[in-house]
Amino acid sequence: MNQPIVMSDMERRELLWKRIHRVLPFLSLGLLLALWVYVSQGENARFPSPGATWDRFLLIMRHPIKGLTIFGHVWASLQRVCIALICAWLFGIAFGILTGWYRKSDSLLTPLFTAFRSVPPLAWIPLITIWFGLGEFPKILLVFIGSIPAIVVNTHAGMRFVQKIYLDVGTMFNANARQKLFKIAIPSALDAIFAGIRTSTSAAWMVVLAAEMLGGKSGVGFLIIRGMDSLDMPLVLLSMIFIGLVGALLAIITQLTELLLCPWTRKQSN
Amino acid sequence: MPRTDLRHNDQARQGASSSMERRMSTPDSDIKVEVRNLTKYFGRLHVLDDISFNIKRGEFVCVVGPTGCGKTTFLNLLTRIYSPTRGDLFIDGESADPKKHNLAFVFQEPSAFPWLTVEKNLRFGLEIKKLAKDVIDERVEMIIKMLGLQDLRDRYPHQLSVSSEQRIIIGRAFAMHPDLLLMDEPYGQMDVKLRFFLEDEVIRLWQELGTTVVFITHNIEEAVYMAQRILILSTKPTTVKEEVVVDLPRPRRFDDPDFVAIRNYVTEKIKWW
Repeated sequence: MNQPIVMSDMERRELLWKRIHRVLPFLSLGLLLALWVYVSQGENARFPSPGATWDRFLLIMRHPIKGLTIFGHVWASLQRVCIALICAWLFGIAFGILTGWYRKSDSLLTPLFTAFRSVPPLAWIPLITIWFGLGEFPKILLVFIGSIPAIVVNTHAGMRFVQKIYLDVGTMFNANARQKLFKIAIPSALDAIFAGIRTSTSAAWMVVLAAEMLGGKSGVGFLIIRGMDSLDMPLVLLSMIFIGLVGALLAIITQLTELLLCPWTRKQSN
Repeated sequence: MPRTDLRHNDQARQGASSSMERRMSTPDSDIKVEVRNLTKYFGRLHVLDDISFNIKRGEFVCVVGPTGCGKTTFLNLLTRIYSPTRGDLFIDGESADPKKHNLAFVFQEPSAFPWLTVEKNLRFGLEIKKLAKDVIDERVEMIIKMLGLQDLRDRYPHQLSVSSEQRIIIGRAFAMHPDLLLMDEPYGQMDVKLRFFLEDEVIRLWQELGTTVVFITHNIEEAVYMAQRILILSTKPTTVKEEVVVDLPRPRRFDDPDFVAIRNYVTEKIKWW
């Protein structure tokens, strides 16, 4: 039975727009590529063409820079980010719970932290360089400083604004202070904590580039500086593309982890 | 048929001590909950005025009253979320203490924990009380079976309908085998059909488990349908205006003339305009 579908003009227009919305992302991607080709045309173009960038990719795979291919450099940056993030999460979540849950430590510590987090992480570079030189530790420390505010602020907010009714349920069942903290407050703050994890991850990925520009022999930040110093713009652009891809990948991974660990945050589908 | 039982006692208002003596002198093992001269001020605002009544073991009592009469304050005093200005609440003759007694509460708003599955929500209170695992298993299984939640046990609350979510909360409360179960307009936001369905469900749980229930509602029909006794509260400062015994057989019928008579009577009494 093939019944004709009855639709008003308005509905037909809605349907059309729905289809257009599905195509639009691809359209914008296509536009970006076209723009790229356009600006990189001509003899004295100041922008590397897609072809040149692809060639640079093949070159770095055959002739690694400082012994590392592009993937090696990405991995070097990721390692720094991972170590710094794990420290930042452990410390940040603990600190956020401490200040979000206990009023006294909130009044005592939060003003200090607010002052600390209003200083951009890059402002620490001179001091950190004087204290710790240019090795691996100062880079990781810088990433740590850059990623700590997001996780602390989110955990703090999650713990501070636990819905009263959940705590009332605890009171009613005569839960003690420890049970209220671990069985009610922390679980209810988990989605806020995960928001902090997401934000701190992207912050860490930004700061690691700056940290690697300080000097060193590996990392995507190093590649960018290297490309700038030798006027190798295809290398710069290639690094930028990888930075974007890895950043997006990190965002997706943290999102999936959240869905896996906190299945209740998955919103109702209908 | 409605029985008036006004308990105004000027002497008792003088202070809790005199009423305590009176309480001691009339021990009655059949009385589960005893509310004596409960009074609450918020600053100068006089919310509750000298409320006194008894609840028998396993009794189902409904509390009705005009809007804004302090029903919620009244409940919060019973659960010890607030402390009374004067008077006290006794369970089995002892001053109610959440550490010793089992009070359970069904809130008006949905209060199932979103991060726990249906089954874990039901286990929550029992695990807080650190009961033995086999006791918890047994009680939770029983509640799941009685509420027909078998298929939903591993779902999260947000995946359920509002009525199923409210059933979890009701189940969670009954699973505690509480000394006193307080329900604060648990069906306030539900449509008529779900309301009928859940009213019967609570009646069934109550009959099987013999729990002592105080059920607050603004719906007079609901009160007459469920209660063995109805307490009618007055406007602020709130006191118990009257007690009405409902001794109709169950299942009750909304169109039974006796039912209608009681409903009309309570409606008449509740009017404050």
